[in-house]
Amino acid sequence: MKLILGRNLLISLIITLVLIGTVIYAINFLNQQRVAQLSELQDQLATDTLSLETQFALLEEAPCENLTEGNTLSTEVSNLGDRLSSTETQLGSTNEQVIQLKKQYTLLQIRDYLLTKRLSATCHVNPTVVLYFYSNKPGSCADCDRAVYALSYLHNQNPKLRVYAFDYDLALGALDTLKSVEKIQPNFPAFVINGKTSYGFTTLNSFETLFPKDFFATSTATSTATTTAKKK
Amino acid sequence: MLVEALTYPFIFLAVFFEVFLLVTFLSEPARERRSRALSTQTPKVAVVVPCWNEQNTIQGTVESLLALDYPADKLEIILVDDGSTDNTPAVMDQYAENPQVTVIHKENGGKHTAMNLGIEKAHDAVYVGCLDADSYVAPDALREIIAYFDDEKVAAVTCAMSVWDPKTLLERMQNADYIHGITLRHVISSLNGLYVTPGPFSFFRRDIVLKVGGFRNAHNTEDLEMALRLQNAGYILENAPRARVYTKTPLTVRALVKQRTRWTTGFLRNVIYDYRHMIGNKQFGTLGLFMIPIGLIANVSGIVMFGVIVVRTVQAIWNQIALVSGFPLLYTLTPHVSFSFLFFPVSFIMLLSLIMLMGAVTTMLVGKHISKTSGNLFVGIIMYMTFYGLIAPIWLIRSMYDLITGTRRGWR
Repeated sequence: MKLILGRNLLISLIITLVLIGTVIYAINFLNQQRVAQLSELQDQLATDTLSLETQFALLEEAPCENLTEGNTLSTEVSNLGDRLSSTETQLGSTNEQVIQLKKQYTLLQIRDYLLTKRLSATCHVNPTVVLYFYSNKPGSCADCDRAVYALSYLHNQNPKLRVYAFDYDLALGALDTLKSVEKIQPNFPAFVINGKTSYGFTTLNSFETLFPKDFFATSTATSTATTTAKKK
Repeated sequence: MLVEALTYPFIFLAVFFEVFLLVTFLSEPARERRSRALSTQTPKVAVVVPCWNEQNTIQGTVESLLALDYPADKLEIILVDDGSTDNTPAVMDQYAENPQVTVIHKENGGKHTAMNLGIEKAHDAVYVGCLDADSYVAPDALREIIAYFDDEKVAAVTCAMSVWDPKTLLERMQNADYIHGITLRHVISSLNGLYVTPGPFSFFRRDIVLKVGGFRNAHNTEDLEMALRLQNAGYILENAPRARVYTKTPLTVRALVKQRTRWTTGFLRNVIYDYRHMIGNKQFGTLGLFMIPIGLIANVSGIVMFGVIVVRTVQAIWNQIALVSGFPLLYTLTPHVSFSFLFFPVSFIMLLSLIMLMGAVTTMLVGKHISKTSGNLFVGIIMYMTFYGLIAPIWLIRSMYDLITGTRRGWR
């Protein structure tokens, strides 16, 4: 009897270990699939970046009415931030591919931001633009989740709001330049709302005072850019 | 992360245990037991029905015994009224004229005293059975049981219990749990690892029960203590997986918690106070090396895992409240997340828990199949998977509290 018990315990242990191994393999496989899907989006990012470059060039010659609605990122790419954020949670913020994609996406956001600024100056459109800086370092941004929630809420209220979210700690030259130009200190969350810099988030009401009054008066639905790459 | 890490060893053990059940189910000793035919021998047997205030169910219990497929002159039914204060004595007395039935009235002294009196009166019975007065047996159950007394060392044979006519969701959940227990008892008995001879229709060799000293109060779990004592004396406990018995179960969560607290505390007290020497003792084979240790670990793991779930749930709710406070309720209640299977946060713990649940469901289906228990198990399984893990920690925590503080609770 003890022999059978020992044998069955051993077989059960082996099967259990195989099951656990299968689970670990399945999770790794799923992570690889996530990365693979992100790789597909890399192509989309490249296309969108090229599109922005072209729009920049066209802006020199084309009349404003043909361009003002054309500088929006595709819907697929605007979802990339959420996916990046989810994948970053699953794979870790040190995963090379995740970091690379974040860099590409950050570049795309900066290009879009510059184009928006140029359109504003040239074509006299006046969208509300928010640059949002966060940090994923533990304990460095206690209010970032609430800040993201507030930005999502305000974007929901006024789809014209353009939010560009940046991981402050991402090692990217263009981002460093942007931080330098906007004089962003490592104090999170940090916002640049229509050119004015502010730090911290307390309540929705106090946050809303940072926005221009006409922002709350307009709620025309248009296709819009990004509310992505959120702090996790 | 640290909190989750606490659950890893317990989930591993839970998966391991379900795998062990299924592996042992397929091994030769279990297969041999499933292949046994109905007994053609009909030795003299007596069934003792200890009864206290069971006026609503006792009649059905006796009728099911009288309907057993067994020669009437070989089957004695001994009804022991343990000082009931309701109409039970009158219902019992209706059977006083039946030559198969003996009715005894005594002062209330506890179930073990009623059992001992009944066994004492069963002078010429080779085997004595116990049937709780809220349980009903299938006609072929006794013949199934007798087939497992082939070895002289077999001191007791247990049966396959399920819930009588489960209607409510709580009864169905308990039915799924009982049917899981059918496989568990069948498999574990094939390695002589049983640690309880349940009140509903367990049978004993009368001479052995008398030899070891009869039933004791044993922290209100006389059926569990008797099994441990028989194992301690070197006897074998068998299980007849097709001997069906149906029992009434608590109708409220409160009553269920009370019943299971009594069972769990009884297990802990008997094992820790009176049979500590069996824990991890290879002399007691499967029981000592596997079943008792895993029973003790299961109590701790149930509490720890429940604690982790509670902590995580409270944290999540707290964080969510902190996140949405100050925002319009309408926006908060509107879903804003797009679902993607690929980006669904599948975790190691989640997948292992899923495997554990699949193992438990398989064990239930196996139990239903081998015992040939009728009825639909689907709702019961859903209820079991959804709520059992939330209710069970209540009696686990209560039992641990009672054990530590020395709190004694009543039977009902």
